[in-house]
Amino acid sequence: MTEGQPIWRRDFPYTTEGEEGVSRREFTRFLVAASVAVTGTGGIVSLWASLRTINTGGAHRIVTLDQVAVGGSYLFRYPTEDDPAILVRPDSETILGFSQKCTHLGCVVFWEPDEQHFECPCHEGLFDLSGEPIAGPPERPLGRIEVELRNDEIWALEADRETT
Amino acid sequence: MRRRRDTQISTAILVFVVLLLSLQLFLLAVAAEGFLAGESGLAWSATIISTFLALISVLLYRFLPRRD
Repeated sequence: MTEGQPIWRRDFPYTTEGEEGVSRREFTRFLVAASVAVTGTGGIVSLWASLRTINTGGAHRIVTLDQVAVGGSYLFRYPTEDDPAILVRPDSETILGFSQKCTHLGCVVFWEPDEQHFECPCHEGLFDLSGEPIAGPPERPLGRIEVELRNDEIWALEADRETT
Repeated sequence: MRRRRDTQISTAILVFVVLLLSLQLFLLAVAAEGFLAGESGLAWSATIISTFLALISVLLYRFLPRRD
């Protein structure tokens, strides 16, 4: 056995062309560089989160009250045409608006009137009437949309920052 | 004997750096979650802690024995 060589080299005395070993120091240097890169990426993400502007919408007429049955739902777009939203009327006194995007992976949730909850068909995520996740992979609530009744018409006023 | 001790120190530092990097990856996921939730405060907190961990990694690297 050649002096200074590891024991495994005696058992496996073969080399290939271009073979080179990586020392602990080199590997640690690589990991430290990765550590700095991860920090930089986090900084970019944080900066982006701080600087981006989020459209929360403005007052927008959705539908007349009589078009939404008690216990039923109504689909609309808010705050932009690219944002699916859902209106539910669990009883004659209550009207609630939510973003239709599941907070897990963005699939579209639908209202299940018999069960009184929202269901995401992609991974069977469930949200209760207040939008809070009750089952499945979602951990954050559905984006809430503030709605108001004006002369028998339902208006959307503002969306949660999270909605978009 | 000294070489053996240097190797042990190098391995210990390597393990620490791996652990710190794992924590940093978790914190990056937290920052991304903060971004998606529109909570920039959460993202910044995660980044500040991550920066602190990166500094520890750099410091540990400086203590690495030259021989190994």
